[in-house]
Amino acid sequence: MNKPRILVVEDEADIRRFLRLALEREDMTVFEVGDALHARIDAASRQPDLIVLDLGLPDDDGKAVIRDVRGWSTAPIIVLSARESETEKVAALESGADDYLVKPFGVPELVARVRAQLRRANLAGARGQASALIRFGDIVVNLATHEVWRSGEVVHLTPIEFRLLAALVRGQGKVLTHRQLLIEVWGPGHALRSHYVRVYMANLRQKLEEQPARPRHLVTELQVGYRLAGIVETP
Amino acid sequence: MIPHPEQVPPRPFQYRVLGYAVAACAFTTGVAAVLLRVFDLSNVVMVFLLTVMLVALRWGRAAGALAAVVAVGSFDFFFVPPVWSFHVSDTQYLFTFLLMLAVALVTGQLAARLRAEAVTAAAGERRANALAAVAADLSVAGRDQDIANICMTRIGPLLDGKTTLLLPGRDERIPTPCYGDTGIAQWVLEQGMPAGRGTETLPANYASYLPLTTPLRTRGVLMLERKSVRPLDTEQLGLLRAFQSMIALAIERVHFVEVAHETQLRVEGERLRNALLSAVSHDLRTPLTAIRGMAGMLGESDVALAIVNQADRMQRQVTNLLDVARLQSEGVRLDLQWHALDELVGSALAATPLGARQVVVDIPAELPLVELDATLFERVLVNLFDNAAKYTPSDATLYIRADRTGSNLILRVEDDGPGFPPGIDVNALFAEFARGARESAVPGVGLGLSLSRRIIEAHGGSISASRRDPHGARFEIILVAGEPPTIDMEDPE
Repeated sequence: MNKPRILVVEDEADIRRFLRLALEREDMTVFEVGDALHARIDAASRQPDLIVLDLGLPDDDGKAVIRDVRGWSTAPIIVLSARESETEKVAALESGADDYLVKPFGVPELVARVRAQLRRANLAGARGQASALIRFGDIVVNLATHEVWRSGEVVHLTPIEFRLLAALVRGQGKVLTHRQLLIEVWGPGHALRSHYVRVYMANLRQKLEEQPARPRHLVTELQVGYRLAGIVETP
Repeated sequence: MIPHPEQVPPRPFQYRVLGYAVAACAFTTGVAAVLLRVFDLSNVVMVFLLTVMLVALRWGRAAGALAAVVAVGSFDFFFVPPVWSFHVSDTQYLFTFLLMLAVALVTGQLAARLRAEAVTAAAGERRANALAAVAADLSVAGRDQDIANICMTRIGPLLDGKTTLLLPGRDERIPTPCYGDTGIAQWVLEQGMPAGRGTETLPANYASYLPLTTPLRTRGVLMLERKSVRPLDTEQLGLLRAFQSMIALAIERVHFVEVAHETQLRVEGERLRNALLSAVSHDLRTPLTAIRGMAGMLGESDVALAIVNQADRMQRQVTNLLDVARLQSEGVRLDLQWHALDELVGSALAATPLGARQVVVDIPAELPLVELDATLFERVLVNLFDNAAKYTPSDATLYIRADRTGSNLILRVEDDGPGFPPGIDVNALFAEFARGARESAVPGVGLGLSLSRRIIEAHGGSISASRRDPHGARFEIILVAGEPPTIDMEDPE
């Protein structure tokens, strides 16, 4: 496999340098830019496999860059943001970003997220939705037959619980916002009722997680949404 | 109340108009005597009729009636043979007298009514003009002071008196000392009822106190002093009522203009503070991100790990500091939503490095959703877990339990570590910048707990600390359970 090509868009030179060092050590090719203008140019000319994008750029809003790039590229975008700007994160995800990292973050966290997104993109590119069988932890989900097993035993899910799980499975580890989940599972009329997602997610955790209060797979991104962690590539 | 129009006594009747009527008849008699030399008697009668009509037009109904009688009398006395006597030789004249009296009375009364209507119309026009002028002035008044001036200089003279505007301060009290009687003014403001002269409340007072009421509330009191002992007439009463509501609306408009202005200022200030805070937050976080990231590149050495740990710790302190600053500058503004407690606990546990410590979570699945600000509440939990990590050995166990008792949700965070040092007041820990052991080796400025208390209290709950038996620390958060929104559950398959 070729070296993955990563475009880093960050206006702080020191953070840019550490991102480059960390990713190059993982055998990736890194291109750096410091503003939105060059981000747009390089996203087109360098054809990166993944973009790491700081939302606070000096010349333009990071979300505008995401929307532009999403117009013609499916490369995963990981957003860097501050803790307190939940609405910003949600807006970035709904503009087309795939994941986010909260500053400050550690190298292992960064590498794990980048690798997960690259894997996700590869899987999607290689076989699309061909495989209906997904595995995470001791859970196996069959998207075609709507069956779920936990440690080999059938788990009974209600239709909505299954739709919610299926949405997360199809997201392949991407963070899905409350709104995105509500629209996908309940329909557009429910876009503002985020407590629905919370209640059904709690039910899912009761059925699928070993410790529902310390979930390993159905992970809460507080005030943002949910994602499915720990998907095994081949069942 | 203001006296009703029918309670107003009519103007005292002016007897001198009757004198004018008689004088006019005398004058006409003289003119008729001259005219009689040229004209026939039947023509001279017309002169008397004309006089009666003019008298009625000028001096009103009663004068007209008197003039009619006097005119018939003098016509009889001076001109009808035998002259100089009320005797009548020709009975035909009796018919003339009757006819003349009837015509004089009817024309006189019609003329008098015409006059009365003209007078009323003129008064109405005058009132409309006065109202329009005052309304125009009030509509451009930008401050309460302008309105007070209009009351003094424009409205008072129209009511033959002195009008003073009494406005309450921010505390809803009429300031003392004020012009007039503060007690009465305050009563009027609170009750929205008039008092003082001409009303049913304290009518002996020399001034009237009238409420200035808008559909929303009573905004002030108009004080009216009049030297004249006569009550206001109907026209003035109408004016007064119109002025009352116009002044009230003007005050309300000025009030809302001020409110809008203040809101604008506050929004500006808030935006500035937010911009400042996010700039500070960015400026502190950027070097931290770089330090932490670069240290992560140094490999697994102790030094590198220590740098990462310290950077993390500093990050949490920066977050606490920024949260404190934010809460202090804005008050606590909550983004309330219905959350599952176990989800918040899980999220906070994932955000706190607890090392090898055991964590036992016991939160019943059937616990109802609770309405809170997730970001701030997670901050509280992270601070509690962080404390546990700071003050317990690495083999300690953390117990997190939640329960519902009555209308409250109780969340307990306990550890089996050494607990609080002996001799300290555990609840003083929540005071700003307090720490258990003075200058201990464990870092932290004690911001976490005071911040936590502020956040929990903003949610209408409480947080307390106690010693756990046999050893360890216990923190207890009590939240109001509230009424979670209903969910249309799907039909079971």
